[in-house]
Amino acid sequence: MSNITVEDLNVWYGDDHALKNINMEIPEGEVTALIGASGCGKSTFLRCFNRMNDEIGVARVEGSIRWKGVDLNGEDVDPVALRRRVGMVFQKPNPFPKTVYDNIAYGVSLNGRGDDDMDQIVETSLEQANLWDEVEDRLDKNALTLSGGQQQRLCIARAVAVKPDVILMDEPASALDPVSTQKIENLIEELREEYTVVVVTHNMQQAARISDKTAHLHLGELVEFDNTDKIFENPEEELTEAYITGRFG
Amino acid sequence: MNAEDLGEELRKGSGELSRRRKTALIGRAVTGLCLAIAVVFLGLLIFDVLRRGLPQLDWQFLTTDVKGFNPETGGVRNAIVGSVYLILITMAVAVPLGVATAVYLEEFAKDNAITTGLQRLVENLAGVPSIVFGLLGLAFFARLMDFGTSLISGGLTLGLLVLPIVVVSTQEALSAVPDEFRNGARAMGATEWQVVKDHVLPAALPGIMTGSILSLSRAIGETAPILFVVSSFIRGVPTALTDGFLALPYQIFYWAQLPSQEVQQMAASAIIVLMALLLTMNGVAVAIRQWSLSRRQW
Repeated sequence: MSNITVEDLNVWYGDDHALKNINMEIPEGEVTALIGASGCGKSTFLRCFNRMNDEIGVARVEGSIRWKGVDLNGEDVDPVALRRRVGMVFQKPNPFPKTVYDNIAYGVSLNGRGDDDMDQIVETSLEQANLWDEVEDRLDKNALTLSGGQQQRLCIARAVAVKPDVILMDEPASALDPVSTQKIENLIEELREEYTVVVVTHNMQQAARISDKTAHLHLGELVEFDNTDKIFENPEEELTEAYITGRFG
Repeated sequence: MNAEDLGEELRKGSGELSRRRKTALIGRAVTGLCLAIAVVFLGLLIFDVLRRGLPQLDWQFLTTDVKGFNPETGGVRNAIVGSVYLILITMAVAVPLGVATAVYLEEFAKDNAITTGLQRLVENLAGVPSIVFGLLGLAFFARLMDFGTSLISGGLTLGLLVLPIVVVSTQEALSAVPDEFRNGARAMGATEWQVVKDHVLPAALPGIMTGSILSLSRAIGETAPILFVVSSFIRGVPTALTDGFLALPYQIFYWAQLPSQEVQQMAASAIIVLMALLLTMNGVAVAIRQWSLSRRQW
């Protein structure tokens, strides 16, 4: 089993205690949704899995995240190496201002797989992201000429191209229209078969539709973590009940 | 609100609105007048220079060397060549050093007191009077390093002069690159160096080029920094870095002080040559800017 085990995780931004004693286990090969009101720490939590908090000078992370026998938060872990195993898709689509092809090829060549058949990798990755049919004849066009939804699927294709084990998504559909959102959600469903997915979302229905497990965070604390069905149908905690029924947040 | 009141409110020239309109009119008039004053003086200056300088500005003036004695019989060829060489050395010194410094400060340096201190230092260096750089050049490059009054002394001095300007303009170009690119590349497993080399620098390149060219065009017009290392009397063009040199701004400064009416008119001709050089460089900078803005999609 290579579940990801989070133990006593704490994050501070300066004096601001952003995550408090988080303990949970992210199951391998399933989709875990992180929900909670704005500022609850869910994006901060997500960034712990690929050490993106390292890039924020004032962030301090304590506790452990164990995966395949390694503490991802350990001093001896190289964040660069980690990010090649744990991909990330951001809230705002952020393809590089390069061609569609080069957007995929960049990460692949970073990983020293430049000798493989790049054309094949590009095609496979775009197919996995359900984007191939739309960009097949535009591979040499600048990625920023694509629509927002296409850009986001390109970012997902870019992430899967390097064959990570885990894919982190930070509100991947929040900047997109309903049709594009639908496509991203379908894509997440498909990704579940090959990857462990952790997705932050503001959208309750989305969490309910796409995830196997759901974690509810509130003011930096993990309120409840359980099967998604349970969370949405019969939550243990009053706070979770209140949040998912829209009484606050 | 009935139709009559609404009509009154929407009609021009009524009540509060007409007062605000008057204020706006005054604002436009005052700022427009300021612009007119600036343009008129600049226009007069250029007109005067052209009037005095154009008549004797011919091909011979451009292709004949400066004559130390009887300057009336000479031209500005070696001063133009000297200025062009100077700018090439300045570029070779200031651009790589300045861009690298800016990349370090903007992309790698930790956000702490030392970095902030360095940052303020660079900004203040950009404001140091250019004559101070001239004295530094004399003391350090000409005397201590024993380069004497030579092209290399002048180029290095001008390089130091524009270095902080290159740093600041490069930093601005780098900070205009959205963080999304940086984070996207990091999340793909790029090292900080790869992030900078593969994404930040390419995206910032047009801005860096524009800023650098504008800095260099400032250097080419400077007299004070090279005042102590330029040669007043010299024949021909420099053929080595350690050769003495002439430069356009210095030649203008020198000629303008001579009593001969004729030589003073030659100073005006040299000003036209220098302005043409400056406008060309600035034109290139503007062209790069326009071209990159039209291509840029972020």
